[in-house]
Amino acid sequence: MPHEVIMPALGMAQDTGQIVAWLKAEGDAVKAGDPIMEVETDKATMEVEAAHDGFLVGLRAAAGDNVPVGQVVATIAETADAPVPDAPAGDAAKDTGDAAGTADDTAAADDGAAAPEAAPEGAPVIMPALGMAQDSGTIVAWLKAPGDAVAAGDPLLEVETDKATMEIEAGHDGYVAELVGEAGEAIPVGEVIARITPEAPAAPRHRARGATPAPDTASGTAPAPEAAADAPAPEPAVDATTDAPAPEPGGRILASPKARRLAAERGLDLARLAEAGHPQPYHAADIETLAALPDTAAGTAPGAAAGPAAAPALRLTARVPAAAFDGFRARVAERLGAPPPADAFLALAAAGALRDIAGDTGAIAVDTEAGPLTDPDLTGLGALDTGGTAAPGLAVRDLSATRLASLDTGAGPTPRLTLTRRDDTLEIALAAAPGAIAEDDAIALLAGTAERIEDPLRQLL
Amino acid sequence: MARATAKTNTEDYIRMYTQMVRIRAFEDNANQLYLAAKMPGLTHMYSGQEAVAVGICEALEDDDRITSTHRGHGHCVAKGAEFKQMFCELLGKAEGYCRGKGGSMHIADTSHGNLGANAIVGGSMGIATGAALSAKLQKTGRIAVCFFGDGATAQGLWYEVMNMAALWKLPVIYACENNGYSEYTRTDEIAAGSITARAEAFGIESFEVDGQDVLAVNELARGLVERCRKGEGPFFVNLATYRYHGHHVGDINRDYYRSKDEESEWKQHRDPITNFGKWLEAQNIASAEELVGINDAVRREAEAAVAHAEAAAYPDVSEVDMHVHAGIPHALSA
Amino acid sequence: MTRELTLSKAVNEAIAEEMRRDPTVFVIGEDVAEAGTPFKVLAGLVDEFGTERVIDTPISEPGFTGLAVGAAMTGSRPIVDLMFGDFLFLVMDQLCNQAAKIHYMSGGTMTVPMVLRTNLGATRRSAAQHSQSLHALVAHIPGLKVAMPSSAYEAKGLLKTAIRDDNPVVIFEDKLMYQDKAPVPEEEYLIPFGQANVLREGRDITLVATSSMVQVCSKAAETLAAEGISAEVIDPRTIVPLDEATIVASVRKTSRALVVDEGHQSYGVTAEIAARIAERAFYHLDAPVGRIGAMDVPVPFSPALEDLTVPTPDAVADRARALCKGGWADAA
Repeated sequence: MPHEVIMPALGMAQDTGQIVAWLKAEGDAVKAGDPIMEVETDKATMEVEAAHDGFLVGLRAAAGDNVPVGQVVATIAETADAPVPDAPAGDAAKDTGDAAGTADDTAAADDGAAAPEAAPEGAPVIMPALGMAQDSGTIVAWLKAPGDAVAAGDPLLEVETDKATMEIEAGHDGYVAELVGEAGEAIPVGEVIARITPEAPAAPRHRARGATPAPDTASGTAPAPEAAADAPAPEPAVDATTDAPAPEPGGRILASPKARRLAAERGLDLARLAEAGHPQPYHAADIETLAALPDTAAGTAPGAAAGPAAAPALRLTARVPAAAFDGFRARVAERLGAPPPADAFLALAAAGALRDIAGDTGAIAVDTEAGPLTDPDLTGLGALDTGGTAAPGLAVRDLSATRLASLDTGAGPTPRLTLTRRDDTLEIALAAAPGAIAEDDAIALLAGTAERIEDPLRQLL
Repeated sequence: MARATAKTNTEDYIRMYTQMVRIRAFEDNANQLYLAAKMPGLTHMYSGQEAVAVGICEALEDDDRITSTHRGHGHCVAKGAEFKQMFCELLGKAEGYCRGKGGSMHIADTSHGNLGANAIVGGSMGIATGAALSAKLQKTGRIAVCFFGDGATAQGLWYEVMNMAALWKLPVIYACENNGYSEYTRTDEIAAGSITARAEAFGIESFEVDGQDVLAVNELARGLVERCRKGEGPFFVNLATYRYHGHHVGDINRDYYRSKDEESEWKQHRDPITNFGKWLEAQNIASAEELVGINDAVRREAEAAVAHAEAAAYPDVSEVDMHVHAGIPHALSA
Repeated sequence: MTRELTLSKAVNEAIAEEMRRDPTVFVIGEDVAEAGTPFKVLAGLVDEFGTERVIDTPISEPGFTGLAVGAAMTGSRPIVDLMFGDFLFLVMDQLCNQAAKIHYMSGGTMTVPMVLRTNLGATRRSAAQHSQSLHALVAHIPGLKVAMPSSAYEAKGLLKTAIRDDNPVVIFEDKLMYQDKAPVPEEEYLIPFGQANVLREGRDITLVATSSMVQVCSKAAETLAAEGISAEVIDPRTIVPLDEATIVASVRKTSRALVVDEGHQSYGVTAEIAARIAERAFYHLDAPVGRIGAMDVPVPFSPALEDLTVPTPDAVADRARALCKGGWADAA
């Protein structure tokens, strides 16, 4: 059984070794323990011994070559003329691309070294393990720039661990084709931080870590939707007021989680307690007080004197953090290959909220800039139904991609939701003509829509 | 070489030789796995110290207990472990002795009385002494051997447990594998006075032996084991030996604490396997060809075990919260 | 049949019963035999079981704890007597690196059925090295179980369960409770781990309390009841495993929670239980989750200072009242 001779890991902070000299020649008989080659690392020169008895055949690297740790450099066979096995596909822990980056002029017979899977970008340089308890190293400084010519022993960058600062060599002769990561950035051990090509690269580059063109390496850096959903997001601040009395501006209502839940379940607006002069914070016991408050409409509101019998026009606004919604929208666009109409997201959220209020009463149509969508919350964004005949009960308008901060066109016959953006916050406004929608339903519709915008994954469940 | 006692026979000699060869073969393969970056983590080589583990373990019964150290593969093999489960453990595979949860520094083989390697230097001294206490209380007739290195003699725990072992005459043998180096430091830089005298201060009978001479070690161990069983323990043995590798497999450049000349001196003239092999030939117990046959058979066994371990499966992810508490299948979904 | 027993006598009975039942059980520690420990908890055991099974050791806490680990791995069931909980710091390697991890590191092939009995509790005027309540320290380490008896009845039932458990168990007795009496049945009984005891049912607030803090909270609940505030009192009995379900269900019912424990407040048992309540009962909370632990200072010697550092019935009642009335400052 033939045995591979590999470039050994001779130190903890080493990823290649340079062959100083072969001490045995092709075909020589060797015994376990015989020195077969001399190897030099940054720290020392030492002899590598044969691990088995046999004959040294199939030398694949020459004196002077820098060979990645773990790579096969020769074979010990049972006979001097044994057929040399093909180069293995590569050692499990090593990038097979290493093979292409080394000088292999002595390995003419070795078609394995030219295996098609060799990385075209050149030989990778990895963040090495420099200490026992180390899982990352911090880039102190790059000592070469993209496009620079380098020799294997040239310092490529300076790396700092908790224990020490040291220079990492390029490990290969050639040119710096790519550098990954900035000074100050901690890079996990084993991650590729540079690539060295034997020829001068056409487009040398220095890219940010994570801004990677290869999709399969992005898992650690991509924003995880679950994490965003789990993050302790602030409660959606629902300021629901009638047009008539001026709302208390900007005030977040202080209330216990239980009081908020009970109020939401019963469609009650905690802000009314504040308007009525009850001191915050509100607790569950205050919900009964809230429920017992006289209806906002008649008599109490100063503006209502003009038309005591008429229901007021409604204008409600809610604000939610934009991050989760933006992330969701980007992922959907990526998954579908093309972004769906901007309004569709808002239509989807609003239809879901509307269905919660109305129950499953049949088709829900939502008017968007692109025309009415039927049951968008049921069809999903990939198969929007634009051919429905149901009359829209609600219109939506998404201005979050514009610079518009607010828009008030007055209330039309159909209640309308408008989405605008302010810094990292999305504002959702619901405007409705007098009598177009019951106040409780308006509150529930806006609150439900805001919840879905804030936590978009929820509506997919 | 010490003179063989009349009781031992050819079979015993051949087994001791074979066990030493097995330890060396195991370590050579483990070293290759590390160098080839196929083994997670790192490991500490026992090569050079084989006569200590084999000489002592060959004096024990299968259900006598040992505790081992971070440099513990030799003890594990000598106490009867199988290569396959050991290599699987080294590679973190489910078939390993500890289902891949322990690795090189925590291999335990309870089926042969090995209570496990310990990654805390001196950490097992209480465990070995407690096993001896258990044996005495329950009158099982078993004894315990506590293997530790010269570095561990600097731990306070040893003095506490030696005191109790001596007070209560516990059947335990403290075996100090004195390889001359406490990690990366010469032992004479960390040990004041005499290590043997420290044990003697507790009234513990103490011995010095050439740890490269498997027959000398075995002869001494047989006597002490027998006396332990009669309630004459505890004992302390200081075994002079040598580790061929650095503190761990990655400790390559060690000129600053140990010279290459010193290493080659031990390897060329004091190797426990080579010297015992020569003795076996000289005594006409085994021919050179027979010894080569043993070496070849062991090498094939080790290579097959490595291949088996490399192909073996990792533990299922569901095992991560198993074995936290006995009696609770999954600690995090209880 | 039930009689009144001191906690000390209940512990003594539990050990004697288990030693009679199982010959592999033995006691090891400093001054456990003729002296019967400084608190006299083990008095008389040596007369029945002899010095072979009630073993006096030198003052070598890491040493005899290590012996217990080895004995437990090889067929014995040792009960380690650690004279003061403060000495846990001395035995950390043997307890946390060895005992706690051996079952796991060996892939389940070895078990360590040992009990480490020790104590907690301040206000004995014993100063900073003999007064600590360090149960959170060991509860942090996977592989150990941690029991916190709150009465003589609890102490006996939990200790017997601990001795029969195949895992290392640390059981903390409050050294100020050794002479406190409680009804204890003459018949054998065990108290299972991981099942909380609801001592008192209530509507308005849940008081979760460990060890002697159960008494403190029961007294506070009486005070509150007189004011019309109905407090539920829950004793988890073991903090590892923790009966999260009972605690969460109670808080969902009462909407308020106050966690009381004699360990230091920071990074301790009150923090852990409060966090679990916040995670699993958030939308049912009508007030912030409150907690009271020992003050984050070394335990002072002077009575004038020491008494300030531990939770009292008045402090618990005050905090509970504030939470129920929505008046606690942190809420606004």
